[in-house]
Amino acid sequence: MSQREDILARVSAITALPTSAMQMLDLAGDPDTQIEDVQRTVEYDPGLVTNLLRLANSAYFGTGTAISSVREAVVRLGFKRVFQIAMTSSIAPIAQREIRGYDLPRNGLLRHSAATALAVEYLPKRLSMRVPDATYTAGLLHDIGKIVLGTYLEVSSAPIVIKAYRENLSFELAEQQVLGTDHAEVGAALLEYWKLPQTVVDSVRWHHDPNQYPHKDKTVVDLVHVGEHVARICGTSSSTDGMNYAVCIESIDRLKIVPDMLEIVANDVLGSLEEICSIFN
Amino acid sequence: MQVTVGISEMKVSSNPEDTLITYSLGSCIGVALFDPDARVGGLIHCMLPLSRLDPAKAKQNPHMFTDTGVPTLIQNVLDRGGARKRIVAKVAGAASPLNDNGMFKIGERNYTVLRKVLWKNEILIAAEEVGGTVARTLVLNIATGKTTIRSGGAEREL
Repeated sequence: MSQREDILARVSAITALPTSAMQMLDLAGDPDTQIEDVQRTVEYDPGLVTNLLRLANSAYFGTGTAISSVREAVVRLGFKRVFQIAMTSSIAPIAQREIRGYDLPRNGLLRHSAATALAVEYLPKRLSMRVPDATYTAGLLHDIGKIVLGTYLEVSSAPIVIKAYRENLSFELAEQQVLGTDHAEVGAALLEYWKLPQTVVDSVRWHHDPNQYPHKDKTVVDLVHVGEHVARICGTSSSTDGMNYAVCIESIDRLKIVPDMLEIVANDVLGSLEEICSIFN
Repeated sequence: MQVTVGISEMKVSSNPEDTLITYSLGSCIGVALFDPDARVGGLIHCMLPLSRLDPAKAKQNPHMFTDTGVPTLIQNVLDRGGARKRIVAKVAGAASPLNDNGMFKIGERNYTVLRKVLWKNEILIAAEEVGGTVARTLVLNIATGKTTIRSGGAEREL
């Protein structure tokens, strides 16, 4: 078995998505889902209730008036938003942990993930585009492979970083050469195992190389690619990989992004990031 | 005491027991100022070049933008007894992604705006490590004025 096959085979044994998040995924895929189903699923998980109400009353997710019950949150915010909040709430406890192998301090990956999720929603708004459904979730989960590699498989990024800077390779190419795989492929394998929508899985898989994305409409993967660069402008890059990733010029062209827009979106993200992150601290 | 300077934050100190540190400078810019006679120093971590992007936010937190943050840092060092002609300025950050084709010029623009602000204030850059793709941590020791950079697991004096 190659190192790549070994790593990918171990993904399923690593960590489970909380039951409430798995049920939310089922509900999201079922056209007959009723408000009561969503309410019951959320109320079954006290931690999710707390986070849902906090996020539902935040400036970013909120509607301006106070939301005091799960039912009110589902009715007022809609299922799509409640699903996104449930995913954020499920991922936060593992994304908050220090990831030794990748030299990410406590809260480091959560900040980067939340900043990317916000960027992929602010970008299309600034571009006067509709925000595709899967975008927020793909943005939030794009680097989940780093948790798998850096925490559960105890991979050390040190030889990867040395190779990247010595040979002038982008970080994920150096990962591929050292490990036989990279955090994008590992993350996608985990999300596939968790049965996330295919658009989310494929966007995470190809977020460093959107041209490889196997579908004609590349909007979500392009947004995640550019959104992650915006998140780095917001100061959420880690000390290991820094800004050492290539920009896909085709993504920039497809989204019709002009240079000033990235600073504008970075400023948008910064306006909401502290509030979202502080909810989990 | 080790004092962490967060993103969009500034700290000034004349306590010789203090070490000011700012982590993970990517496209952001970090500036360390030190007056060796007055023994006062300051460190800032600015994120975006120009405050005209969001003047309300710049008023609330001038340290977020290079054009408002660095003058505030200079003023704070002067207020604590520093003198312009003695101030030693050291700079780190301003990285950008690989082959960005000019799309992500934020690091470069942060650096350009910084140079302009320092030039206006007649402060020269004594040492710098800017550009590339690496994330840097910048440390200023108030007892000695020694400035160090950490990146990629290595540490060196700036």
